[in-house]
Amino acid sequence: MTLPTPPTPSTPPPAATPATVAPAHAGAIDPAVVDPRLPIVLDRVSRWYGNVVAINDVSFSLGAGITGLLGPNGAGKSTLLHLLAGLLRPSSGRVLIAGRPAWREPSIYREIGLVPEREAVHSFLTGRQFVDFAARLQGLPDPEAATARAIDVVDLAAAADRAVGTYSKGMRQRVKIAAALVHEPPILLLDEPFNGMDPRQRLHMMDLLRSMAADGRTILFSSHILEEVERLADGILVIHAGRLAAAGDYREIRRLMTDRPHTFRVRSSDDRRLASAFLSEPAVFGAELRDDRLTVRVSEFSGFTRIVARVARDADVRLFEVAPTDDSLESVFEYLVSRR
Amino acid sequence: MSLIATDGLTKRYPGGVTALDGLTVEIEPGIVGLVGSNGAGKSTLLKILLGLLDSTSGSATVFDKDVRTHGIEIRELVGYMPEHDCLPPDMSATDVVSHLALISGLPRTAARERTAEVLRHVGLYEERYRAIGGYSTGMKQRVKLAQALVHDPRLLLLDEPTNGLDPAGRDEMLELIRRTGHEFGIAVIVASHLLGEIERVCDHLVAIEGGRLLRSAPLGSFTERTGTLAVEVEDGRDALAARLVARGLRVAIDGSAVLVDLVDEAPFDIVRDLVVELDVPLVRMEQRRHRLEDLFRDAPAGVPVVVNPADAPEEVAP
Repeated sequence: MTLPTPPTPSTPPPAATPATVAPAHAGAIDPAVVDPRLPIVLDRVSRWYGNVVAINDVSFSLGAGITGLLGPNGAGKSTLLHLLAGLLRPSSGRVLIAGRPAWREPSIYREIGLVPEREAVHSFLTGRQFVDFAARLQGLPDPEAATARAIDVVDLAAAADRAVGTYSKGMRQRVKIAAALVHEPPILLLDEPFNGMDPRQRLHMMDLLRSMAADGRTILFSSHILEEVERLADGILVIHAGRLAAAGDYREIRRLMTDRPHTFRVRSSDDRRLASAFLSEPAVFGAELRDDRLTVRVSEFSGFTRIVARVARDADVRLFEVAPTDDSLESVFEYLVSRR
Repeated sequence: MSLIATDGLTKRYPGGVTALDGLTVEIEPGIVGLVGSNGAGKSTLLKILLGLLDSTSGSATVFDKDVRTHGIEIRELVGYMPEHDCLPPDMSATDVVSHLALISGLPRTAARERTAEVLRHVGLYEERYRAIGGYSTGMKQRVKLAQALVHDPRLLLLDEPTNGLDPAGRDEMLELIRRTGHEFGIAVIVASHLLGEIERVCDHLVAIEGGRLLRSAPLGSFTERTGTLAVEVEDGRDALAARLVARGLRVAIDGSAVLVDLVDEAPFDIVRDLVVELDVPLVRMEQRRHRLEDLFRDAPAGVPVVVNPADAPEEVAP
């Protein structure tokens, strides 16, 4: 079920890129956070079509792990993936894959596996023929073995000799992934990989991507299903109107949005007593009891997390539940795309 | 009155494929989620319920009408939103929806009025006179929903209604489904692979697997609290876990969270007091809930269970 580990890069494993949020109404994220040694680097990249600006001054770098690419329809996600895959020339700036410019550099295709959103699969080929074609295109020394291994990884061995035209959507998705990783690339780019998959196939695909990331691969996938991104991705990139709106761990991103107060949901043995105890704390500026639940509004995240247990203990109230209510990826995403 | 009832419903296709295998289920009106793997028999079930396909054996009723003898009556009461892109690009939303209203038997004037009404309900205004070819995915989905509603059905069948929508578009579509079901009292069956949105919009869930009923129950019963308390602190996870073990609790680590077995209510206080003692920020403490996807984790015999090391909590040595 696992692929051999890709060759270790000569550079030391870089630290995770810190979370960043582009200031509202201002320019892009500071390119100073870009680490040029990482496998994927965008350095002040713009791409326009005539007068339409699809990608506007975007900089980021990605290392090993799973990154989710998010954005509303038309935000520029596909343009970004195409730039990374060397299918589009940047109008300005640099796109580097494993240290080399992506545009007009065929050697980058040894490094990347691309799973496009479109179902560009010939329906008359069998799954095995389709993957084998990719293996030969890559000039692999033993294409048959590589094909068999890739088909095994996506769990498609039983159907490998059937025509792709007879496959379900989930199977077609998996055969595309097998073709993309037949040469065991250290970088995987996937556009909406979960489309059409049923719950079990989704779970399997998540496990597969996690195990590939654990082998040190750099994986970037786009998705509209925020629950999935939340569970799978180590970090996110949010593209909005061609700009990079935020990058990094979504919970850290949430905490950087200091212009929005934080709210916590609290359940306890005596919500009323606890609420009044909270109100005497300077970090808390609101507590609301409604429908048997206590909601606490605080100005500073850590100002509350530091005191909550002590306040409850001093008031002799049993705490059943403490949870931030708006640090889900869904609310973070909504904040990010509604800011401008 | 039951919305849908099947008894031993079986469908074998020529060539030996068994799509439904003695399915027995009774569904009450409401917003009902229908989930199942690809090939579990969902589409076959919907076709039989609409009277478009004969079953091999067993029986099925919709609004207490037998699907074999009352197909047309049932179809009069049902609106269907297909999954695939099925709208003619060169027609306007108004033209398509009023045409389908006419086909459903509405008089011309009523068809026109109902069309204006449902298009407003789904949130299409000036755009409805423009050709559908220029619509966004979200607008097309709305037209598909509008045509399913135009003849005032009592049951709505929605197949993957949020396909291709971005997060804002999904929210709007789910809200529309909730309003249609709750404010207008139309029964809704949502077939979807996205368990998260089933959880957000449905009251009841029917899961089928291999042509059989896996489970049919109110949604809340799939997401009940478990006996595991998950505690997240900043920079003190291991210290907290060790202290909890020292207090005799069963503890495991899962990512950034410390998992504590709740034998009784005592662990709540122990966690609270240890957090104070260690002086670490308490970010989150809540009981884990069962997830809808647990249904699909307990793979039936013969299907290999994929165990992901990241999901298997490691035991902390006492």
